[in-house]
Amino acid sequence: MSGHLLHIDHVSKHFGGNVAVSEVSFSVDKKQIFGLIGPNGAGKTTLFNCITGYYPVTSGQIAFNGSSINNRRPDQVCRLGMARTWQRVKPLCSLSVLENVMVGAFASTNSPRKAEAFARDQLTAVGLDDHAGKPAGSLPIGLKKKLELARVLATRPKMLLLDEICGGLNHTETEIILEIIRKLRSSGITIVFIEHDMRAVTSICDRIVVLNSGQKLAEGTPAEITSNPAVIAAYLGGGHNAQD
Amino acid sequence: MLFFQSLISGLLSGGVYALAGIGMSLVFGVMNVSNFAHGDLMMLGMYMAYFAFTLLHIDPYLSLVLIMPVSFMIGYILEKLFIGRVIHHPHQNQILLTIGLGLIMSNSALLAFTSDPRILTTSYSSSSFTILNDISVSVPLLLSFLITCGITAILYLFLAMTRTGMALRATSQNRDAAQLMGINVSKMSAITFGIGTALAATAGALIAPTYYIHPLAGHTFLLKAFTICVLGGLGSVIGATVGGLIIGVVEAMSSAYLSTDWKDVVVFALFLAVLLFRPQGLFGKKGDQ
Amino acid sequence: MKQLTICAVLVIAAIALPLLIGNNPYLIGILITLLMMATLASAWNIVGGYAGQFSFGHAAYFGAGAYTTMILLSLFNTNPLVGMAAGIGVACLIALVTGSIVFRLRGHYFALASIAVAEIVRLTVLNLGFTGGAQGILLTDVPFFGLDLNSKSPFYYGMLLTLVVTLGITAYLRKSKTGYYLQAIREDQDAAASLGINVALYKNRALLLSAVLTSIAGSIYALYIRFIDTSAVLDLRLSIEIILTTIIGGVGTLWGPLLGAVLLVPLAEVLRSNLLGDTLFRLGVVSESSPVGIFLKDGLAHGHVLVYGIITVLCILYLPKGILGLFRRGK
Repeated sequence: MSGHLLHIDHVSKHFGGNVAVSEVSFSVDKKQIFGLIGPNGAGKTTLFNCITGYYPVTSGQIAFNGSSINNRRPDQVCRLGMARTWQRVKPLCSLSVLENVMVGAFASTNSPRKAEAFARDQLTAVGLDDHAGKPAGSLPIGLKKKLELARVLATRPKMLLLDEICGGLNHTETEIILEIIRKLRSSGITIVFIEHDMRAVTSICDRIVVLNSGQKLAEGTPAEITSNPAVIAAYLGGGHNAQD
Repeated sequence: MLFFQSLISGLLSGGVYALAGIGMSLVFGVMNVSNFAHGDLMMLGMYMAYFAFTLLHIDPYLSLVLIMPVSFMIGYILEKLFIGRVIHHPHQNQILLTIGLGLIMSNSALLAFTSDPRILTTSYSSSSFTILNDISVSVPLLLSFLITCGITAILYLFLAMTRTGMALRATSQNRDAAQLMGINVSKMSAITFGIGTALAATAGALIAPTYYIHPLAGHTFLLKAFTICVLGGLGSVIGATVGGLIIGVVEAMSSAYLSTDWKDVVVFALFLAVLLFRPQGLFGKKGDQ
Repeated sequence: MKQLTICAVLVIAAIALPLLIGNNPYLIGILITLLMMATLASAWNIVGGYAGQFSFGHAAYFGAGAYTTMILLSLFNTNPLVGMAAGIGVACLIALVTGSIVFRLRGHYFALASIAVAEIVRLTVLNLGFTGGAQGILLTDVPFFGLDLNSKSPFYYGMLLTLVVTLGITAYLRKSKTGYYLQAIREDQDAAASLGINVALYKNRALLLSAVLTSIAGSIYALYIRFIDTSAVLDLRLSIEIILTTIIGGVGTLWGPLLGAVLLVPLAEVLRSNLLGDTLFRLGVVSESSPVGIFLKDGLAHGHVLVYGIITVLCILYLPKGILGLFRRGK
């Protein structure tokens, strides 16, 4: 148990009669980059929402850092050291880029001055320092993704859950984000990574879980996953999803 | 006997409340707009019935044939000119816009018709008959109730059977998807607001023979209509129907067993209780809130 | 620094103003109303503008201050300051009940529930005995540390102090953790929660603070007018007027609410006192007995709410960020 930072144990989530996530189990070790992949509608984001307290789970156990977080609110989960980004970015539009990151930084300080200094560090880390004064709503999508990252980093997380942080980005932008993620891991942060783009996932992840129709289809190293016939079938069966 | 008497009169007036509630709920469902001008649209209906009766000597129930199309057009135009332009704004802006429109309507009415309350007295305004020995049934309330039932039934059929009705329901379920399917959602919004206005004005006309007609009368009905919608689940037409009947009965019961002064307090307390324990309303889907 | 100097000049000017206009009780009366509306709008702005929770029931907090102070005075001859403190307590209680019921919900529900709570408060006060019911409460003599409360200037300064405190709190809040948290909640609740913000807690804090300031203004108003009834201090119309003042000036800005009051209060006064009609009569343009004259005299005098309605509609359609928004394009 000691190595597991996040432990998902037979977690299910039903919406009325629809089963979005069914009996999924896996564990994420400290300092891992862990990939969660699967076609559209596989239940990846739903699982994220369960882990981070936005949805109550229907059954199963979620443990973070050795203690159950089943009935925690999203803000409590964040304060325990697990932060998430959003697939559809959620910038605080009328606040400036810097202020967005300051909001994250206030999780660990009450002083606006300290929050600002720490926020500036995070902006530098993701390469957004030139845009600090701009309204967050005015950024293009690539920079908004970086802002999401800087903002959750400001909460000083032990673990980051990144929901399609590379979605909608071009190849160069994706490479930049992946490089940032590698640096984060070497600074000691554990990362769980939802992604469609197989290339991005296999190039960066230590371990991968594949979800399909709410169920765990496979788990293993990138090499094992890419050669797994069931995974290939699911992706090919899912049409072009692997590409978008 | 007091119980049955209250039940009967509560159900009868509840029918008219339901009509007002359905109009508001429809607008909410299709357009996702809380219409704070709804009460004032009812007030316009009251005055239309009043003037049709005093100037044109048309019976208030008969005048519905005029009032419904006219108010439909008013609603359609209001949507095109004002409401439609804020449909993608934050909901606070929509609320304020409809409040502004309501203030314009009620205060214009105040200027035009003065603040003197008017009474529409028909030959049958205070007539009633007795059933089951000693339960009296007011004739105008009964007529209003029956007309409400008729209109509600027609509305159901319209929503269930016609192309436009189905398009309205599709827009209500998912505006973006409806648009992708080729439904003209902005036209649907205008039609919805037209129907909502027509229902409000009809409800107003139906209570005109039994109620004081006053420029600020809409205020009370606005809050009642909201309570009905939340009770039934915002956006649910069936919910609003049942919600209206419940509110009517609750009002009548609290008048009978508590006092008339406290009946509105009971209604609002019920409203808060619903928000506390079942925010999606009696007929709403869970997760809507 | 520059801003601070401007503020100091403004405050000094406001302090000196009654001395400049001498003993004109009419003008001081309008100024007190102006300061009051600015205070109410600024207090509402904390929860409505910064936290983005549109309360349509702020009359309840105003009325809580006004009624508690007056009831304690008339029944027990309590010191007005004690009454004011008790009023704050009652307002907090109402805010906590409202907050705990509706802050779990989103969107339309808070607006609707805040109206319901305010209406329950209004009807309860109207129906109870010790609140004076529909007659309201009238006091002829208010003892207060030997101050001459027959003059209006103590209330002017009291209201001014409340406004300065409210604006001071808002200015501080804006640049504090709480202020940023409230704005984050306004922009996106889910994002706010994901950044470690206890959304319900901060909404409740904002509502409580706003309610306290509103109830203080209510207490001062009651002592100043010495007559209150439900239609004056608990009506939905008051809540709406508070919101309009904020919206027109600029919601979610420090100076917007004050600007809104500076624009709307004199406008309402001009309409109410029928300045336009009187001028036209005096110039002989319109005869007082002509239909137009009668309309001006009887109609337009009650027309200020109509004008509010028109301004609101225009404001939402063309100026949703208020007058201050005009100067802040792009932000």
